[in-house]
Amino acid sequence: MNAIEIRNLSKNFGQKQALQGLNMTVPQGAIYGFIGENGSGKSTTEKIICGLILPSGGEVKLFGRDYKDPDVRAKVGVLIEQPGCFPNYSVWNNMMLQAANLGIENAEKEVRKVLKVVHMEGSASNKYKNCSLGMKQRIGIAFALLGNPTLLILDEPINGLDADGMRIMREVLINVTKNYNCTVVISSHILGELEKIATHYGIVRGGKMIAEMTAEELNANCRTYVALKAKDMTTARAALERKYNRVETDEEDYIRIYDGVQAEDVVAYLYSNFNIVVTEIKTSKIGLEEYYIDLMKEGR
Amino acid sequence: MENTRELKFEQPSFFKRLKGMLGVDFYRLFHTPLFYIFLGIAAIIPALVSMGAMGGGAEGEAAEATAMFTNAWQIIAAKSPLYVINDMGDYANMNMVFIFGGIMISIFIGHDYKSGYVKQLFTTHAKKQDYMMSKTLLGAFSMVCMCVTYMIGGMISAAGTGLPFTIDAGSLICAILGKMIMSLGWASLYTFINVIFRAKFGISIALCFVLGTGIPVIGAAAVIGNTSALNIFLYGSSVYACLSANFASVVICLAVSITWAVIYNVCGTLILNKRDCY
Repeated sequence: MNAIEIRNLSKNFGQKQALQGLNMTVPQGAIYGFIGENGSGKSTTEKIICGLILPSGGEVKLFGRDYKDPDVRAKVGVLIEQPGCFPNYSVWNNMMLQAANLGIENAEKEVRKVLKVVHMEGSASNKYKNCSLGMKQRIGIAFALLGNPTLLILDEPINGLDADGMRIMREVLINVTKNYNCTVVISSHILGELEKIATHYGIVRGGKMIAEMTAEELNANCRTYVALKAKDMTTARAALERKYNRVETDEEDYIRIYDGVQAEDVVAYLYSNFNIVVTEIKTSKIGLEEYYIDLMKEGR
Repeated sequence: MENTRELKFEQPSFFKRLKGMLGVDFYRLFHTPLFYIFLGIAAIIPALVSMGAMGGGAEGEAAEATAMFTNAWQIIAAKSPLYVINDMGDYANMNMVFIFGGIMISIFIGHDYKSGYVKQLFTTHAKKQDYMMSKTLLGAFSMVCMCVTYMIGGMISAAGTGLPFTIDAGSLICAILGKMIMSLGWASLYTFINVIFRAKFGISIALCFVLGTGIPVIGAAAVIGNTSALNIFLYGSSVYACLSANFASVVICLAVSITWAVIYNVCGTLILNKRDCY
């Protein structure tokens, strides 16, 4: 059974089509990196899953049930933008109120536990309005974790976090998926950070899902390449283009060859055939960010 | 992927959900200065009305103002159900609490939306009908509390006016009880208005003020006359709970208040269910 199954989801805001038949499948226990440009429909999709906005069409199922089912809703932890806290109340009081709304028994113990998880136990007495952006994000995660959720929906949770905050977030998300089989959907523009934790990816553009894949599939897609610099770059590039299918020059003026070649073969080919001396050579792999940018370029 | 936890979805009962939501709302109510400010206003307003009745200004005005009331209890309710307003004496009574209540509920619910609390709430198992009910009960409780402080403020200030306190105790109790019962209907109306305008609570306040002052009913009475048919409206029944009230008046207030509370709660729930929450 999948944690989330969305079929043909659409949402119109007046004349504007925010979602146009979006499909999405999130397996149970996954950390699902949900990526897309601003306005691509990520937040709209997440808000529909959370029950905050109504779809114009399509079907949303959580754990095989209708997403509006209150039984399922009780097990969904959410952080959309910032947590809905009362600014003049302390962090502790805000947490206790949310615990009351969720009907959590032994609320004090539970609140203490989640505050500890996000390393906020020392700031519980602070008024929410006096908390920094990073602290507010952590409080948001603590809110989402209340009630031992089965599904976490996190919209841009690492925005505004410092390096330590990002590390904590990483630990928390890996911990909840590993030890509690919690499924996490996380949207973020910080792709480098997402790459460290996500087990699955969904890439959305113009209100449609353009690619869904596992981390392994992404690895396979993110090809390795050889990057080099030679004494005569123009001749070198022309020589390489004769033999290899995909040769590009990057922003740092390295010539990249994507055809899964070995660095020593390239050196030998250039020297023995054209007497071109390679001055620098390295083997690299394109990351999620570059893959994503490439994918976005293809669609334009 | 291997499952390490068996998934169990429990059905949160209606009472568990409502209890949680009411707990949060009442905690907020008792911890917001807004509530105490409005309790204070409800106590001070009858004092100001009494001062006016005693004549705080020129002699002529004083004589005219004193004529507003012939009995101290008129500060709580009018002598008879007068939907058409002839002077301030017919109007300036405990019904004013329903105006304060409207303003308070508008600010309270507006803050729910502004702070993002509603967003947080509706992502949980909370149902929209729970929200309507919780806010209605909270609003009704606040207005009943305001009725009490109004009564205390009114009696203290009326004691200084020298007006007689003679009254049929049964009618007085029925009048007070009737007005308190009407709080439920008024609270549901204000909650309904606020779920329409949400964070734009300035509009809600203005609308609550217009309806709370009874302007539409007063206007209708000016056209169709002083008829008891107007009791079907919240303001009409609120006026009907007057110093000549009896047990039947209380029953009418109860029926009207509950009927409107149900109508507004159903309509409010429909609106919440059919609209994006955030």
